[in-house]
Amino acid sequence: MENAVEVSELKKYYDDVKAVDGVTFTVETESIFGMLGPNGAGKTTTIETIIGLLEGTAGEIYVLGMETSEKISDVKKRIGVQLQDPSLFPRLTVGETLDLFAAFYPEPLSVQEAAEQVGLSSSLDGRINSLSGGQRHRLAVSLALISNGDIIFLDEPTTGLDPKARRDLWETIRNVRRNGSTVFMTTHYMDEAEKLCDELVIIDHGKIIATGSPDRLIEDNFPHQAVEFADPGLSPEDRNDLLGISASGGINFEENEGKVILYSEDVGKTVTDLIDYTRKLGIDLDNLKVRSATLDDVFLKLTGRAIENE
Amino acid sequence: MNRPKILYKMFVANAKEFFRDRASLFWMIAFPLIFTFIFGMVFSGNDEVVYSLGISVDKETPITKELVNQFDEIESFNVSTGEIAKELEELERGNRKMVLEIPGITREGVTGGKSSTVRLYYSQGEQETNRALISAIKEIFSGIEREVTGRAPLFQLEPEPLETRELTNFDYVMPGILAMALMQLGLFGVFQFMSLRENKVIRGLAVTPLPRDTFFESEVALRLIIAVIQTFLIILIGRTVFGVKILGSIPILIGLVVLGALTFVSMGYMIASFSRTLEGGRNLVQTVQFPMMFLSGIFFPIEFMPGYIRPIVKAIPLTYLGDALRQVMVGYPPEYSLSTDVYVLTGWFLASTFLAIRFWKWE
Repeated sequence: MENAVEVSELKKYYDDVKAVDGVTFTVETESIFGMLGPNGAGKTTTIETIIGLLEGTAGEIYVLGMETSEKISDVKKRIGVQLQDPSLFPRLTVGETLDLFAAFYPEPLSVQEAAEQVGLSSSLDGRINSLSGGQRHRLAVSLALISNGDIIFLDEPTTGLDPKARRDLWETIRNVRRNGSTVFMTTHYMDEAEKLCDELVIIDHGKIIATGSPDRLIEDNFPHQAVEFADPGLSPEDRNDLLGISASGGINFEENEGKVILYSEDVGKTVTDLIDYTRKLGIDLDNLKVRSATLDDVFLKLTGRAIENE
Repeated sequence: MNRPKILYKMFVANAKEFFRDRASLFWMIAFPLIFTFIFGMVFSGNDEVVYSLGISVDKETPITKELVNQFDEIESFNVSTGEIAKELEELERGNRKMVLEIPGITREGVTGGKSSTVRLYYSQGEQETNRALISAIKEIFSGIEREVTGRAPLFQLEPEPLETRELTNFDYVMPGILAMALMQLGLFGVFQFMSLRENKVIRGLAVTPLPRDTFFESEVALRLIIAVIQTFLIILIGRTVFGVKILGSIPILIGLVVLGALTFVSMGYMIASFSRTLEGGRNLVQTVQFPMMFLSGIFFPIEFMPGYIRPIVKAIPLTYLGDALRQVMVGYPPEYSLSTDVYVLTGWFLASTFLAIRFWKWE
């Protein structure tokens, strides 16, 4: 079976910026594929190049087996797209907008269905210019869904949504997969990528720095657990001493969040060592936590900085 | 995929967007109608003009009485009598068009062949009106003179009014208002597109299978339909309220309306392709639209304009649309032949379409 999307050596250069600098990946059908990275990493440029909104500088893109530079109008009939900063006819209602977009596709969902999936059923008569930011955002997602396309492209679909709406949208996205479509989404939320996506690419400065399922990525990078505590204000010497503690996965001093994280395969020993060490220095261990590694840790390890601080 | 259906839905969406926007409704529909009403009320009144004439008689005699009566009987004069000083004051204030100072003329004096001097005061300016009034007044005096002297006039002028069509000022202006409405439709109408473009609505449509030419077709179709609505409403008001007679053939009129709308719609798109932002577009439209409105002769004949402006007048498409509509709608004497008008408009249409495509910006 052909892959939903195949991208090889895609480059998109602007005058002095390499927005996307040679990315290669494959999206399997009936999966939720996530592109994770900080703002400005090249996620939006990648997605907009794949759907034919931007023209790539180099590289090949196949969507549903079709070369996009040649067959973009055929591709468009079989995909649904939600762009960032969605903008619509301000004086139409939600229902009218959905109805208009439904007309563009060969086998669309009904207006009612598409609205229901994002919880907008009760707002069908509301004018676009009277919607809240969150509602507008959900409408944009539902305009992608109404295509009933084989691939649904979602660029930061949950940005600006409250936690409840976010979780609901995750369920909607899982439904899309259940119904046999593929989801290609970007996000800068680690938890979202981890909980929602089957496959991930992590992108930074226009380059892919890791690929795999969330579990795989964590396992590959961290066969360890993380021991985390609030930085009591360690001096450089203290930090050097701390490096002597058995932490096979390394230590991260997360300056911005004031945390120290030790990665270890033998948590018991690391914690004991840590307690001895802090006793010796006479400092308190605040907010001591032992947890499994997350995608945050992966990103931190790969790039040396935390993603949410961007 | 079903293209007619997409076109229809896109058209309906555009139409709703248009008719729910008060600003565009005002400029495209209400503004031309308000213009029609205002010009209609100012110009179409067929009432004869009445001039107020002050007469001051030094010393009343049967003859002077007769004179005053003669003037009073003429409908075009609104005669008031009074002291010369007072009447001159009124003249100065503008309450009298002219003031006659009549000396005490006696029958004996007249029959004795004594010439009397009647002074006529008036303010300078409005030379044509003054000249006409002076000769009318002279004519009245010689009429009285003939009566007194009993000499038969050598020439009898018999006015025989025929039932010809009288072109009023409003007949001239009404096609001009339609031309203005079509211009605004094209030039202001493009703001809707520019605002959709600036707010990235067009970008959002670009990721759907909606063909871009279908989007355009829907916009142009909407403009043309609005053009026909404007035409209908303006003619309706012109005919029913102000009694304008439409002479020309309706198919030719509709053809001209469509050509005019297309010309200005493509000029609008040309402006959209020259300027990136809505604000820039507005400025550009204003610099084009305002002079065009006053230099095209849609509100007053081109002969009223000084010679050095004529070349500009001759370059403006609105001049030709106004001229063509005047010929066809009310049978006004043409400035250019109808085919010249059509050629020039088509030229503008093709040129601005070419430039619009050449410099087109989707984003």
